[in-house]
Amino acid sequence: MKLFRSSLLAAYAWLLMTTPVLAHHSDAMFDHEQVRELSGTVKEFQFTNPHTWVQLSVKDANGKVVEWSLEWGSPNQLGRQGIRPSTFAAGTVVTIRANPMRDGTPGGAFIGARFADGTTVGRWD
Amino acid sequence: MGWTLHLGSAVLLALLQGIVQAATPDWSGVWAMQGGTVFDLATQTGKGGSTTPGVREHPPYTPAYEAKYLANMALRDKGILPDPNSFCGIPTGFPRILNLPDVYEFAVTPQQVWIIAENGPNVLRIYTDGRAHPAPADRWPTHTGDSVGHWEGDTLVFDTVSLHSSENGRTLVDRTGLMLSEAAHVVSRMHLKAAGLMEVQMTIDDQQALSAPWVVTKQFKQQDKGARVYDYACNENNRNPVDPKTGWTYTIGPDGRIIDQSATKQ
Repeated sequence: MKLFRSSLLAAYAWLLMTTPVLAHHSDAMFDHEQVRELSGTVKEFQFTNPHTWVQLSVKDANGKVVEWSLEWGSPNQLGRQGIRPSTFAAGTVVTIRANPMRDGTPGGAFIGARFADGTTVGRWD
Repeated sequence: MGWTLHLGSAVLLALLQGIVQAATPDWSGVWAMQGGTVFDLATQTGKGGSTTPGVREHPPYTPAYEAKYLANMALRDKGILPDPNSFCGIPTGFPRILNLPDVYEFAVTPQQVWIIAENGPNVLRIYTDGRAHPAPADRWPTHTGDSVGHWEGDTLVFDTVSLHSSENGRTLVDRTGLMLSEAAHVVSRMHLKAAGLMEVQMTIDDQQALSAPWVVTKQFKQQDKGARVYDYACNENNRNPVDPKTGWTYTIGPDGRIIDQSATKQ
């Protein structure tokens, strides 16, 4: 299922590339050795402290829409890097890579995103 | 005649203030700590950051404090070290205030220097107006302690006492689980090591926790001109509350409910 591709993409290399950006709490809930690629529609971009969250609606293998919570850096850090509340407008179709939660919860640590026009934000190598 | 005297005094006062202000360096701008949040990078072993299992530092701990540090690291390795910095609302405290992500401002006035950390936010006030620490009977432990300092040329030298112990779970020095006791006494030397590079060298003395002075250096890089500092507001939308008793970090969904399935095992 393309939309819900779970992959162990060269785990070690990714481990080096995906340094956690979450500063204010433990990140043990995320599996930093796995990268999950999710294609869906932005429901909301919470540009809030202490961390930002992209809420992404993704269809699962059965066609059911599941809302994923993807946690990113603080709005302060990201704002200084050019990210804006408008970066993920509601309704935008996007593919996001994230380190998924270890327990299977539909959530993860945001790594990067690729929009339909090919532009990317975050880490997308 | 009287007016002339007043005018003369005012001019003299203004000149003196100008001299005092000119004697303090310009540390304006926005600064970012270098090197991640492992407090003592010089003694770090293990690769990764402060939350990475196996990463540790090597303060000259007494055997008792080494044992406490090992116990904290065992919890950190499991992702359940209750770190007060994650509780939102408790001051980070000193010396950890010099070990934070996000950015800093260093505000120098003739009477005080304020180290302002965006993260928290946290403020370290260093009195440079000549005052001493309060007498021991007139001070009590706080997160940030009491700091008094003076200038040696362009170097700010300050002395910090009256810090909370890490024993009661109120504070940690970093997320590997570093601890200090209420006996901690820190002398810091802060200066511009090079253009755009601030350095603070802390000499930590702690007769309960340490068998020798522990010297730790932190550096801060000046950010691009025009960089701004924002609200931090840890409780604005904190979707990762930490249970102080278990150290468990919950994940909250967009509807305000806990979504991590493993939380039910707690």
